[in-house]
Amino acid sequence: MKNRNNSQKNQRPMLRFSPTAWAKLLFCRDMTETEVGGFGITQADDLLFVTDFALVKQKVTAVSVSFDDESVADFFEDQVAAGRRPEQFARIWLHTHPGNSPEPSMTDKATFTRVFGKCDWSVMCIVAQDGSSFARLRFNVGPGGETKIPVCLDYSCEFDAANFELWKQQYIANVAREEIFRPIDTKEKPVLVRQLSDDIFGEQIPAVSQQFASEDLLSQIDRMEPFERDIFMEELAIRSDFWDEESEVFYG
Amino acid sequence: MRILFVNNDGAGFADYVTITEGTTVEQFFTIKMEGREPSDYLIRVNRQPVPKDYCLQEGDRVTITPTKIEGAACRLGQQTA
Repeated sequence: MKNRNNSQKNQRPMLRFSPTAWAKLLFCRDMTETEVGGFGITQADDLLFVTDFALVKQKVTAVSVSFDDESVADFFEDQVAAGRRPEQFARIWLHTHPGNSPEPSMTDKATFTRVFGKCDWSVMCIVAQDGSSFARLRFNVGPGGETKIPVCLDYSCEFDAANFELWKQQYIANVAREEIFRPIDTKEKPVLVRQLSDDIFGEQIPAVSQQFASEDLLSQIDRMEPFERDIFMEELAIRSDFWDEESEVFYG
Repeated sequence: MRILFVNNDGAGFADYVTITEGTTVEQFFTIKMEGREPSDYLIRVNRQPVPKDYCLQEGDRVTITPTKIEGAACRLGQQTA
């Protein structure tokens, strides 16, 4: 049960987590060295109090996270079937950064604007590896605006115990690591990730997504899109296992 | 006739709406999502993607959900402000 007094209600907005939700977010963050993301679930009468961290199917790397569009749609349908309104499950976008900076990247900010910018309000929250966090509240009613808000744990409500086994199962079921870099002896051709029929109404997804897989390292890098190249170079810098294997220095 | 409509834009919506017989999913999108581009959304009816000329039926569940939700860690030296 909630145990908030009036003075708390009148304070400036802050994103609050139940201990269970926060523990689950950190558990998922620490499952691997990759990013992970999801949506914050809230109660109808307390929309900035996250009581659960809900995962959707996603592809992750050490420097990126990308939700599966169909899984997001399934998530919406399931949440509505459970009796929740969109403002309870689709307004708080949570994800982690493997490094120690919770500051949003250009990609984070672009997604926040493009995806959540038409909602009456929304929150982007990022938790870094060292536990530091960032949250930005955007509202589009009245004059509109956005502000950075604090993140805190709220122990004033009853909360469930941690369930590591369940969380692990949910993580494994939803999070797929996508290798940007693979050893240069891989002979695989670029992967056809997805192809949609032209007559399907709605999103148009590029038919082909290339992954790096060639002996010709430099030419592959040259052919990458700038964004792909940035991610690749980040992954290259982070993947110490690669350097250990090769014991060589890459001059970019 | 009535259909269930789920959408997150604006105040968000997850309720039944009344539409006229013969309304296609393209027409419905144009009405409900004025000024938006279909390519920015995944539009499904009863959990399935449909052609734009699909005529909505009584009791259909239409979801219009955002696509390409993606994040990335900051690069060293990248501006974030």
